[in-house]
Amino acid sequence: MSTGWTPGVPAPERDDLNTCVQCGLCLPHCPTFRVTGLETSSPRGRIAAMRAVQAGDAPVTGDFTRFTDECLACRACEAACPSSVPYGRLIEAARVQVEANRPAAERTGRRLAIGGVMGHRRLTRLMGWGLAITQALRIDRLLPRRLRFAAPRVTVRGMRQPLAQSSGDGPVAMLLTGCVMDIAFRPVHQATLDALVRAGYRAVLPDGGGCCGALAAHAGERESARALARARIAEMEQADVIVADSAGCSAHMRTYGHLLADDPEWAARAAAVAAKVRDAVEIDAPPGRPVEGRIAVHDACHHLHAQGIGPEVRRTLRAAGATPVDLGDGGRCCGAGGIYNVLEPEMAATLGEQKARAIIATGAPVVAVANPGCAIQIGNHLAALGSDVRVRHPLEIVD
Amino acid sequence: MTTAATGLADRLRELLGPDRVLEGDLARSLYSHDGSIVDGACGLVVLPETTGEVSACMRVAHAAGVEVTPRGSGTGLTGGAVPLDGGLVVSLARMRTMDEVDVANSCVWVQPGVLNLDVSTAVAHLGLHYAPDPSSQQACSIGGNVGTNAGGPHCLAYGVTVQHVMGVEMVRHDGEVVVLGGAAPDPPGYDLRGLVVGAEGTVGVVTRVLLRLTPLPPDVRTMLLDFTTVADASAVVQGVIAEGVIPAALEMMDRNMTLAVEEFVHAGLPTDAAALLLVEVDGTEAEVTTATAVVERVAREHGVRTVRVARDEDERALLWKARKTAFGAVARVKPSYYLHDCVVPRTKLVEIMEAIAEITEREGVMCLNVFHAGDGNLHPIIALDRSDPDETARAMRAGDQIVRACVAMGGTLSGEHGIGVEKREYMPLVFDHDDLEAQACVRRAFDPSGRMNPDKVLPTGTRCGEVGLADAQVPEGTWI
Repeated sequence: MSTGWTPGVPAPERDDLNTCVQCGLCLPHCPTFRVTGLETSSPRGRIAAMRAVQAGDAPVTGDFTRFTDECLACRACEAACPSSVPYGRLIEAARVQVEANRPAAERTGRRLAIGGVMGHRRLTRLMGWGLAITQALRIDRLLPRRLRFAAPRVTVRGMRQPLAQSSGDGPVAMLLTGCVMDIAFRPVHQATLDALVRAGYRAVLPDGGGCCGALAAHAGERESARALARARIAEMEQADVIVADSAGCSAHMRTYGHLLADDPEWAARAAAVAAKVRDAVEIDAPPGRPVEGRIAVHDACHHLHAQGIGPEVRRTLRAAGATPVDLGDGGRCCGAGGIYNVLEPEMAATLGEQKARAIIATGAPVVAVANPGCAIQIGNHLAALGSDVRVRHPLEIVD
Repeated sequence: MTTAATGLADRLRELLGPDRVLEGDLARSLYSHDGSIVDGACGLVVLPETTGEVSACMRVAHAAGVEVTPRGSGTGLTGGAVPLDGGLVVSLARMRTMDEVDVANSCVWVQPGVLNLDVSTAVAHLGLHYAPDPSSQQACSIGGNVGTNAGGPHCLAYGVTVQHVMGVEMVRHDGEVVVLGGAAPDPPGYDLRGLVVGAEGTVGVVTRVLLRLTPLPPDVRTMLLDFTTVADASAVVQGVIAEGVIPAALEMMDRNMTLAVEEFVHAGLPTDAAALLLVEVDGTEAEVTTATAVVERVAREHGVRTVRVARDEDERALLWKARKTAFGAVARVKPSYYLHDCVVPRTKLVEIMEAIAEITEREGVMCLNVFHAGDGNLHPIIALDRSDPDETARAMRAGDQIVRACVAMGGTLSGEHGIGVEKREYMPLVFDHDDLEAQACVRRAFDPSGRMNPDKVLPTGTRCGEVGLADAQVPEGTWI
């Protein structure tokens, strides 16, 4: 039987596809299905489409590409699936196939954004300065709407904020500086470093630093992702604990072992690093200051669905005296999805607005958000609705 | 696709816009399946949002002479929502608004795409719920529930869908909109509303449903009982009801099923037990206490090993999650499943369970059982890998023998899933020629065009009236 997959490129595994019995219990948990009602934008439908390609009944190009692009990879379906279909793994492999078949002209833009800029710390910083200056001069309003909604707020002061490491005898905790976090969320980095000190660690930064490769991996740019993983491993493997204060990064770094499993030189080192990864909200540091009042909690998909993290955020807030408030939207994805809001602006905007309304409905003045993509998306949609609810990382709130 | 069909797509796009008409090959193939293993052929998909749009689509389809299959969430298990011959699928998945709840009459009008569980969630603050609770309730739609006259664990005490649908609005084959039944307790004339419930889309497309809402019980207790033999568990099912206690739910799960489910839910189910009973009693506190005592006593008389009473809502939810995700968990064993939801009289439970074990063993297929024991509604799930033609053939044979065994014991074909494609050729086991012909006449009274979800429910060739029945009994290999 000839399959429609492009040979020589990773593809969804037949055994993984076979774990789906098409019961449909995933449908109501899928944010895109909830919006469109289309089988083609549901996990069951996407798996059926993968099976069609597998069976040689459909090409990777055309509709298959469209259905795959529309997926947020939030993995809410995985938690709901009684047969534990490894959907995250399937969609990532499908994306690698899609990228291998995407026309060169379309790929260039994506590649440039993901591998080209985010992969290089200097270029990322340069982009940060570009954003800081255009936003300071308010000429960013000339950008297309989709880019504006996806762009973080970057300030000149933030770009120049120094990060204070610590000395001492405790175990060494090294913080991933990352890409977007490094240009737009330095206060979160500082709050995380502070929390590490309170928890008894010697909090340090890597020599160099840069992107973990999550954006590349989610977009099907496997080789870029592997190169970035190797760079981070080499930089960080000496630490006792490796900390990421972005849900997408901690989730992705935990898969380094799987990502480099077939690379004999790196497999063991990758697995060792993956085992040392902690998300910042898992540190269990005592609060830096007391906090009163209600705090809305947005669960990042890469926390809740990819790592089962959720109670930790609430515990952190409660320990400081605050009252965490769950959103009434069933915890659906906010539509950020890495760079999804750039690639699929319409769906992302629908989901972003839904999320912002759910946050406003809680009446809380602050919403805890532990992922940069979500923070940008939610912040921009709250602002678009004229809301003054502030978006903060949970560790920033208790710092 | 033919020119006529292309023209049809153009006209439908004029009505709904380009995004709500699907005609790509891959998209259509996704609508050629439901939760069963039936493979169909879908010609075109439309997703209307209002009754008016459904009516307009039906007028266009009628004029073009195409067959129409309505579809809800596509979680059905008999191929009822699968078009077999390139017809038009009318997906109601975007029709999901609910009206204001009529609190005084405890009812609410909803569109067919509203999900079953969403109704209960939306009215919980009023102390109400929608009682029929199919295991797929988080995903299945009210429209699909009406089509199949869906059941669920709690239907033992509360009744199935037809007892909870007070009225329906339906679009007929030619686009005419009719309203049957309503909030008044007993509308005069024939009960046409009752006829639409369970008609599986063969008499029209249901576009609005008036649901009866039921007060939430003041108290509820959920128990998990485990037994070393299926016979003991079955005896408890009969014994409890014979004592005059009708539990809200009374479910059985065998060892194979328990193993598969426990791996997903981690509910601490005893995986060495031959059979588990999940029993829920509800009512006032006094009623619950009395009923619980009866259940425990009967269980002990029949050698129950342990009685686990859910301590809180979390534990109760976990036990129900174990029950309600059972079908999907089968994929841990094999990539597909095949099942019939036959019913037997409660008194035959032991006998039929033995027969099922014997049949599946003889055919060399794995069977997992999880079912509504209280009303004798079986779900023998045969796990299979469809890429293995031999195993598939054995699974089909086993299913066939199970259906026949149930009917031979005084049972019937389907408790809740409907007949669809999968069981239509078994209809002659329970109805004779005249019965089937009469049913075909009822169907034709609603849909003289014969294009509303054709080839479903009635066996191939069944016709109304004097039309020859010579070919009516020819069985065909219909499934797969």
